[in-house]
Amino acid sequence: MNAKFKIIFLLAATLPFCLDAVAQQQTTLDEHDQHAQHDQHTQHDQHEHSEHDHHSGHDMSAGNNDTAAHEHKEHSIDAATHQETQTQDHVHEGHSIDAESHEHASEHAGHAGGPTDHGDMHHHHHVDDSHIMDHEGTMIMGQNLDKLPSGCKSVSEEVEITVRAGRKYAERFPGTVFAFDQQQWHVKPCSKVTFHFTNEDNIRHQFMMHGLPKYLYQYGMFHLEVTGPKTVSGTIIVPGSDDTLLVHCDIAQHMEKGMKAQLVIGKGGQDIPSIPGLTPYNISDVYEAEDLPKISASENKEDKSKVVREITKSLTSSDTQNYLILLLGALAGVFSIPLFRKIIPGKKTVDKSEE
Amino acid sequence: MSNFIRTIVVIAYLVCASGSTYASLKLPETIRVDPAALTSEPACDPKIPPAWRDAQVIDGVEIEADPSCSPDNPAWIAVAVKGTNNVSMDTLMQTHFSPDAIIKTDDLDGDGDPDRIVIKLEVMELNGKSPDFPGQVPTFDIAPGVQPGAWVFAPKTSGMSTENFESVRANPLIRLPSPVIRVEQGDIVQIVLENTHYLPHSIHLHGVDHPFHHELNGNDGVPQTSEMELMPGERRIYQFQARETGTMFYHCHVQTHTHLSMGLAGMIVVEENKPNNWLQTLNIGAGRVRHRSAAIKENFDREYDLHYHSMDKELGDIIKEYNDPRLTARDMNRRYQINNATEDYFTLNGLSFPYSLRESLIVVDLDEKIKLRLLNSGSESIAIHTHGHHATITHYDGVEHNPIAQIMRDVFDLAPAQRLDLKLETIDDGRHSYGAGDWLIHDHREKGITTNGMAEGGSMSSIVYTSYLGENGLPNTSHFGVNLDNFYTKEYWERKVPIWQNLDEAATFGAAAGRTINLDAATRNSLYYALGGLLAGLLLYLIFIVRNHIKQCAVAVISRIRSKKEGGKE
Repeated sequence: MNAKFKIIFLLAATLPFCLDAVAQQQTTLDEHDQHAQHDQHTQHDQHEHSEHDHHSGHDMSAGNNDTAAHEHKEHSIDAATHQETQTQDHVHEGHSIDAESHEHASEHAGHAGGPTDHGDMHHHHHVDDSHIMDHEGTMIMGQNLDKLPSGCKSVSEEVEITVRAGRKYAERFPGTVFAFDQQQWHVKPCSKVTFHFTNEDNIRHQFMMHGLPKYLYQYGMFHLEVTGPKTVSGTIIVPGSDDTLLVHCDIAQHMEKGMKAQLVIGKGGQDIPSIPGLTPYNISDVYEAEDLPKISASENKEDKSKVVREITKSLTSSDTQNYLILLLGALAGVFSIPLFRKIIPGKKTVDKSEE
Repeated sequence: MSNFIRTIVVIAYLVCASGSTYASLKLPETIRVDPAALTSEPACDPKIPPAWRDAQVIDGVEIEADPSCSPDNPAWIAVAVKGTNNVSMDTLMQTHFSPDAIIKTDDLDGDGDPDRIVIKLEVMELNGKSPDFPGQVPTFDIAPGVQPGAWVFAPKTSGMSTENFESVRANPLIRLPSPVIRVEQGDIVQIVLENTHYLPHSIHLHGVDHPFHHELNGNDGVPQTSEMELMPGERRIYQFQARETGTMFYHCHVQTHTHLSMGLAGMIVVEENKPNNWLQTLNIGAGRVRHRSAAIKENFDREYDLHYHSMDKELGDIIKEYNDPRLTARDMNRRYQINNATEDYFTLNGLSFPYSLRESLIVVDLDEKIKLRLLNSGSESIAIHTHGHHATITHYDGVEHNPIAQIMRDVFDLAPAQRLDLKLETIDDGRHSYGAGDWLIHDHREKGITTNGMAEGGSMSSIVYTSYLGENGLPNTSHFGVNLDNFYTKEYWERKVPIWQNLDEAATFGAAAGRTINLDAATRNSLYYALGGLLAGLLLYLIFIVRNHIKQCAVAVISRIRSKKEGGKE
């Protein structure tokens, strides 16, 4: 009997710790949100700043002439310097993008600094005019500057969003390697959104959006791609109804390893799963505590008994185990109800059982 | 009560008996698996246009014919020869190459070909884990339905990693093996590694003349001597100007015992410096070289790159199990024990039989001289046997063997990382060749012709004379009554097809039926439920019987506690 009680008490004792753990998780989530908001603010500031600094930024929308296509025969290994001299010559000719959009692009393309800008762009031969690529693989696909989605009478507002991408943004999400600086963006239905996609790594990254109306966007996609450190910008007009769209990098394992986000239109639709810090994974890994070497002195300072500590350590190592313990606790509680009832109201029930 | 228990016993017996044997005079029936029940796929990949086989000229680049069933995209070859900076936009757009993947400039020695070569490589994962759905992404099959977790060096690509928006199959440039790199002696070559993978990597140029460069962190790819691991998202340049020619090897030197086996290994060839020598800088998927170097053209009729590799299923499974890179790193670096590991997959140019027939056939004609470059990037020695032929070993590890001492063999040993250049002469004299035919070429360690233990798979392929080649580019086996259809089903590799069932009409070696009472699944299920229900009922009944006993125990406990409490108060 004594042994049984010990177990029940121990289980009961673990309950508060479990609750603690849950609460802690919640608070860390909140912190993330705050961080995200904070980042948003600072970026806004930077953004304004850069507008002032980079009036001379080059237009990064493109020319589709054949001379441009052949121009890069001359490129030497240090393409960046070569490119700067050419940039002025081969933009704009015979291009269908309207003047307003050119202004936008030229105002804001300069984020990452002059030498990283884009000129010398050519059209994809197989897709429509909205597929633009330059000699370094910088790509804008599915851009839409003026076609209104059905359900929109006019553009509701014009916004600009700077998206940063790189390994350093994954640092605040343990277990990821690549990430965007923010995991979701809010826009109004029918708004015209210009994304300035700044890749801060030295490899390719993509800003690829899915789920746009297919009558305006091929495969329902909008896609920016650039090898960093560099910026590429593109504009879309979002649909007129509330929805939540997937944004990710499609390079093998980049989305899986953290580079995933969502664009929330209006009130949004269903959340996209497995966005770092935002939505839970559909399939989670199993984590087990490792017996890693550590400095033992600090441990002795804690006043919890060693047994309880051992139990909480081994049992709270994963979420499923947490829930299991909750369940065990609940069961223990249910079974002990008759006991409590007997203790509190007194002899009534005791008499019955003696009959 | 006893009746009740008897009923339970009878039902339990029925349920159990339905899955076990009973005595009979007659042995069970033979079952022949109906081909219609198999997930069969065409022997030739229907996505590949037959026009790719033709000899053709693209952007001035001459491309030899390749009659095999899955030839390389000719646009790839044009891009690899001219460089992404010189080829037309039209041709480039028929590939997934990034416009800066291969940059060729500066004819430094004035002999009519570019001598500054920049090759950009990314690191890609095949058959990796997704946290969103249970399958793998992006997928790459080495045989039907066989998808080992793998990493490759891939040419820098553009756009999606998959074929398209709706597919989970990897885009065709992202595949096993890592591409064959071809450069000219004296070229100033920069291999730019852009680490797009989520773990650290490097490149070691095994056998290629490269200086131990002070500014470039040693330039040797080794974290234990001179160079830090290249972290995800970072870029590093490896630079060399090779004085010596030969068939060489490049591979990742970070945690080499796992990274090499995972697929981060490829062939690199330094060709002799000749005038107007525009080389096919990358041979995607190895195999036939359709734009050969000047020196090889002078001396040989055909050239094939043959990259043999082996992989451990348990190693590749690690990236299918975890999404968290910390767990992948833990299992790869600290839990995986290569000393207790066995090889499971054996590939030739990234594929196993029967896919190896699609693109790694050695197609020959009588009285030809064929250059074969062999690389073994597996972790054990291999013994490649050429049926019907003796070939001459001309080079070991890129260095020419003394011509007088060169020997002919029909089994070629290749130690791990070793390269052999062979001269295959199809002279029907009983020594060089026994005449035209469809002659197997395979690893003679018997496990080399298996795929995870299932034969005939592995790195097996054929030396096939054009007179024995079918119109679809596969060896014409049908007029011998040979049918390879079963090899093109995923069930075969799941060990579900009795491989000899079609050898005769009676299916002598078909599968034996099981011996079970013929209960259909629904009845058996309901019986299980009935049994479960009865057991549950019994349990409740037992509890009901001993309820008084339980109560008494409880009361005893409570009273003991109370007495203790009261004792405490007093």
